[in-house]
Amino acid sequence: MPEPILGLLAEFGNEEALLEATKRARGEGFRNIDAFSPFPVEGMSEVLTLKRDHRVGWVTLAGGAFGFLGMLAVQLFVNWDYPIEVGNRPLFAWPAFFVVDFELMILCAVLFAVVGMFWMIGLPKLYHPLFSAPRFGLASEDRFFLYIEARDPKFDHEKTRTFLGSLGALTIEAVRP
Amino acid sequence: MASRYGPLPLNESLRDITTDIARVPLQMPARVPWLIALILSLSLLALFLGSITYLFARGVGIWGLNIPVNWAFAIHLYVWWLGLGHAGTLISAMLLLMGQDWRNSLNRFAEAMTVCAVICAGMEPIIHLGRPWFLYWMFPYPATMAVWPQFRSPLEWDVWAVMTYLIVSILFWYIGLVPDLATVRDRARKRGWQVFFGIFALGWRGSARHWAVWNKTYRTIAAIAVPLVVSVHSEVSLLFAAGQIPGWHSTIFPPYFVLGAAYSGFAMVAMIAIVMRHTFQLKQIVTERHLDVLAKVTLAMGLMTAYGYVFEIFDGFYSGDAHEIATIHDRFFGIYAWSFWGAVIFNFVPIQGLWFDRVRRSPVLLFLISTSVVVGMWLERYMILVTSLYKDFLPSSFGHYTPSFWDWSTYIGMLGLFMTPFLLFVRFLPSISIFEDKEVLAREKEEAAHA
Repeated sequence: MPEPILGLLAEFGNEEALLEATKRARGEGFRNIDAFSPFPVEGMSEVLTLKRDHRVGWVTLAGGAFGFLGMLAVQLFVNWDYPIEVGNRPLFAWPAFFVVDFELMILCAVLFAVVGMFWMIGLPKLYHPLFSAPRFGLASEDRFFLYIEARDPKFDHEKTRTFLGSLGALTIEAVRP
Repeated sequence: MASRYGPLPLNESLRDITTDIARVPLQMPARVPWLIALILSLSLLALFLGSITYLFARGVGIWGLNIPVNWAFAIHLYVWWLGLGHAGTLISAMLLLMGQDWRNSLNRFAEAMTVCAVICAGMEPIIHLGRPWFLYWMFPYPATMAVWPQFRSPLEWDVWAVMTYLIVSILFWYIGLVPDLATVRDRARKRGWQVFFGIFALGWRGSARHWAVWNKTYRTIAAIAVPLVVSVHSEVSLLFAAGQIPGWHSTIFPPYFVLGAAYSGFAMVAMIAIVMRHTFQLKQIVTERHLDVLAKVTLAMGLMTAYGYVFEIFDGFYSGDAHEIATIHDRFFGIYAWSFWGAVIFNFVPIQGLWFDRVRRSPVLLFLISTSVVVGMWLERYMILVTSLYKDFLPSSFGHYTPSFWDWSTYIGMLGLFMTPFLLFVRFLPSISIFEDKEVLAREKEEAAHA
């Protein structure tokens, strides 16, 4: 029995070829696929149906609300807890409070967005089996890769390899654990 | 030669872009100039550390400060540094949202410049505190003294505005940097570099799923960063409005401050771009076309700042207030008139050259004009502070201000605090965005193929 593999990695020369290949692979019924490119490929998220993911927006909104309400509460509390009366000016100076409040709203929104992003894409994760594929390093230079995972129900080593070849892949490598 | 489709030359390839930029941290083509610059900036940094050591030992009395001019160099430079930083965020965030491709060769080092400038800006009010070791009193923590910070005070606004701006700038810069760190990691051949970039790239693989989430987050943060820039410099101008001094209450102040900030910042970015493309032979990535667009933006910002000057003077006279009018008169003819006329001349005379294509595309001329802008904005911030403060309402409390040796040594030393981290950034990190330039190039090639 041959050594188990995690999937097949096919290399393409430009982003149109990768996009076309990913479309065909989706059309063929593969679902556990991923595409790797040196820069975001336009239209790729539609092909992989990633477009309808609005989590980043919600996380950012939650962060903004947290920062805004939290800092407002802090400012109201400290002025209530230790009132400093200056010439009978109001303790709850809303216009002055909103300066700091606005900044904290932005700070928390951005912090939530960044932490949320890393959590959603599962980084930091310093090692991944793909890194041991010899040509994968080119994914950050000028090559585009389509990866079909072995756990895909439609995956069959020989047939999938032939299929990837028919898409015009420059090289096809097996990724091992 | 630049193509007619976009800012990058079409004879470049994706691989060329990678090698051109990744070679700077990995092989360092300009070792000697970089080393000389580093030694210079480290000596400036040493001057700064010496100056603040003496400052902490003796107090702010070593500066030329007095009553009535109790805000001078530290606050005027705070405004100036913060203003320089704003262009980085605007180039990165605003031009990203507006789909301006040419920003992709400039945004990375412009953002790094922002971070360095904001560090300097944040340092200014801290050393002006008098007792900077009580800095933590500014934060609301349950102290045993049972007192809280005063959020109605503009000093608190500074703390939170600068802190937010610094953290957001660093995060925005870093998440834009992660894919490029991965690129350099994959190019690195020495073990040490692989580990260094490997750790900071966090295991980025360039997966379509990464890109999809990354793209949304990057654009979301950009959309938040634009109002942040506007709010930070508006906050700085409100800080003046909170003082009972003539000359600080014009309603033009918030936009006038923000535009002036962006103006000086764009000039600074042009200066850095010119030095970098020359030193690291990056002329095919930061092209003449980039300089041309930068010059146009600088010119537009300059004209809007000039409008601020006109309106500020109009506003003073229109108020009919004797003290406001006296302050304007002092700016024109008083003993600090040199700072007003200096600001007008340095800011608005040389930039008129930028109407001409040949000047915009000449690195030397653009560099000189940008230097003049940075100096002009320096004088403007000085003028706004000192000409208002030295004469307030009562002749008995009028006074003069002359910067002391320690004012100058702190300022000049702080240039080292700005340059040292920037030089380290240029040396160790990809200082131009690799993947965003590839995106531009791929799009240009596609357009060229279909044309």
